[in-house]
Amino acid sequence: MEFGNSGFLNEDGIHLDMDRLKKGEVNLGTSIMAVTFKDGVILGADSRTTTGAYIANRVTDKLTQVHDTIWCCRSGSAADTQAVADIVKYQLELFHMMNGKPPTTQTAAAIFQEICYANKDMLSAGLIIAGWDERHGGQVYSIPLGGSLHKQPYAIGGSGSTYIYGYCDANWREGMEEEDAVNFVKGALREAIKWDGSSGGVIRMVVLTAKGADRHLYLPDTDYKVRHA
Amino acid sequence: MAAMFSQNPLMNGPNYSVNDAPRIGAPEGAREHRFDPYTDNGGSTLAIAGADFAIMAGDTRLTSGYSINSRFHPKLFKIGGTTADQKDATIVLSVVGFAADGEALKERLDAICKMYRYRHGKPMSVKACAQRLSTILYGKRFFPYYAYAILAGLDEEGKGAVYSYDPVGSYEREQCRAGGAAASLIMPFLDNQVNFKNQYIPNSGEGHALVERERRPLTRREVEILVKDAFDGAVERHIEVGDGLQMMIITKSGIEEVLLPLKKD
Amino acid sequence: MPGFDFSNYNRNAALHARGMPLPKATSTGTTIVGCLYDGGVVIAADTRATSGPIVADKNCEKLHYISSNIWCAGAGTAADTEFTTALVSSQLELHSLSTGRKPRVVTCMTLLKQHLFRHQGYIGAYLVVAGVDPTGTHLFTVHAHGSTDKLPYVTMGSGSLAAMSVFETQWKPQLTRDEAVKLCADAIEAGIWNDLGSGSNVDVAVITAEKTTLLRNYLRPNERSQKLGRYVFPKGTTAVLNEKIIRKEDLSKFVTVHDLPTETGDDKMEIDA
Repeated sequence: MEFGNSGFLNEDGIHLDMDRLKKGEVNLGTSIMAVTFKDGVILGADSRTTTGAYIANRVTDKLTQVHDTIWCCRSGSAADTQAVADIVKYQLELFHMMNGKPPTTQTAAAIFQEICYANKDMLSAGLIIAGWDERHGGQVYSIPLGGSLHKQPYAIGGSGSTYIYGYCDANWREGMEEEDAVNFVKGALREAIKWDGSSGGVIRMVVLTAKGADRHLYLPDTDYKVRHA
Repeated sequence: MAAMFSQNPLMNGPNYSVNDAPRIGAPEGAREHRFDPYTDNGGSTLAIAGADFAIMAGDTRLTSGYSINSRFHPKLFKIGGTTADQKDATIVLSVVGFAADGEALKERLDAICKMYRYRHGKPMSVKACAQRLSTILYGKRFFPYYAYAILAGLDEEGKGAVYSYDPVGSYEREQCRAGGAAASLIMPFLDNQVNFKNQYIPNSGEGHALVERERRPLTRREVEILVKDAFDGAVERHIEVGDGLQMMIITKSGIEEVLLPLKKD
Repeated sequence: MPGFDFSNYNRNAALHARGMPLPKATSTGTTIVGCLYDGGVVIAADTRATSGPIVADKNCEKLHYISSNIWCAGAGTAADTEFTTALVSSQLELHSLSTGRKPRVVTCMTLLKQHLFRHQGYIGAYLVVAGVDPTGTHLFTVHAHGSTDKLPYVTMGSGSLAAMSVFETQWKPQLTRDEAVKLCADAIEAGIWNDLGSGSNVDVAVITAEKTTLLRNYLRPNERSQKLGRYVFPKGTTAVLNEKIIRKEDLSKFVTVHDLPTETGDDKMEIDA
């Protein structure tokens, strides 16, 4: 670790250089999204992890399971989002055991929000929570940087999302069939990967329905056309 | 968010750069952005004057940060010859520090020496050349050549002459001098082995009354061995020194060039 | 839980504000790698430790013991990699004793990431964690800020780009043990030659379900060349300004004395005979 001399300490010894605090962090400069459809919800993400210009991981899994059919998409600092997801995963498992029934997506999103809001000054985490439960079916919640919580029919996030607001606005439809929803997510992420330098690699998806979780993988080698695994 | 391995030097550079001074008294949160025209390209040089010869040496590695830009980039230049291959040159210049400034400095000094030769019909003496180099360096006092130069040749009496410089033109004739990244590693070795510093004649007295070991001119072979051992030692302990050792031996019959391999890690 | 001593914090803050630079820690500006293969995992490291541009140690050990079946390669601040791995090694040993099970690689990785996350990147340890446990063979990287990755081949440190270029061109699925060792050694060598922060020798560790084989100095491509001169001084060359003799028997009056075995082999100081 380098002990640079950039920045300086205040009289009370507090370091004022915000750049240095987070220097060298592993970033998920990302394209992530989650979309509700007729039978449930689909999460999608690229697979690029960067430290500056270097791709530290080109096959990252940014879709993280926090309960049987509740997952999240992670963007921002890799360390922060992994830590938050680990805590929520633990809380939800405990919740399930204490109450004898699985938590709803809303419960999971509320726990996520609690952590993100209470520690907003320490975290750089942009999360999208998506899940399927018996009572509400598929749902999508977005938690951007400040720690606010937004329930949405679909959500996009990460640095690559800025390029696909138009695409999503034009192509999203209420109550799509699964195949259409998969193609919508894939089409959007392909655009995000194409235009955003911090996004790339493979496209990963998770389809959450009454039948459980189903993973999709699309490789650039086959022009993202063929589904692997 | 700033993101790069703090340990990854490609963008950060190592933490010993010339700009690594603490920013005292800067206003809160302020950050000065400006173009920095200097880079430290590492490497080391060394020159020793003998009775009737002078040896100049330098490694051939060129670095920036933790990267090697070239494994063969000469730091030694023959100065003031009449041809492109400088085969009738009598003076050698070495430069370490910022390679681009070194190159520019060499070109200027060479051009001046050539002009002198055409005008006067004889090559410049090392003494005159040394004074002129000082003037060139001081001419850029407020935007210096970031280069540590050493000039070597034979003086009017045919004795080996070594002149060393700081980047703004202060200079001095010396018996020997190490320059560049590993100067602090090599110079004490030279003090001890060339000028016999800290060596006393055993049993020649008590405490401060000891008699110093008498200095004697070193032979060419002895000096070549010292140079090779000095650089092998520097390569072991300094990361910016390595790859190749270039030596130029200046005698009355001309300049002889020797290339030897050094460790490449 | 051990904690850090902050008693010098305010003094150092005041000094820093007056322009004193922070002390330079020994960093293992390093190349470390790891690679899975059929039947186990290989990790490897170079052996150079630096302090700024100076080589602090030409043959240091960057492969750290966690448990018999888990080993760790460390880059970043030397002290941080050493203490962090030692701490986790101890926690894992106690955990293993109280549960009566073999330690798992994920447990090790989780302890490391939680410890590093808690300290927000100030503990500059960049680690490659590898091992075999009852759940299988595993390979992880852990960054100083607490993020982790799970991949079939990994590199870290200042030479990580040079090393990764070898993996990205030569790696294939289903490697044999010997192929994996060769690949890792080649990757480290790329770092040794092309990254100034890395150098000297290659250390390799091969971990299988049966045993761990540590191949210390598996490659030594940088032997020091023979000195041409002889640097022996006649006795009495150095001036003695004053003299006071303390006999060995009386030494314990001044300092604590331990008898150590004499240095052997490679660790001996270089002295001209």
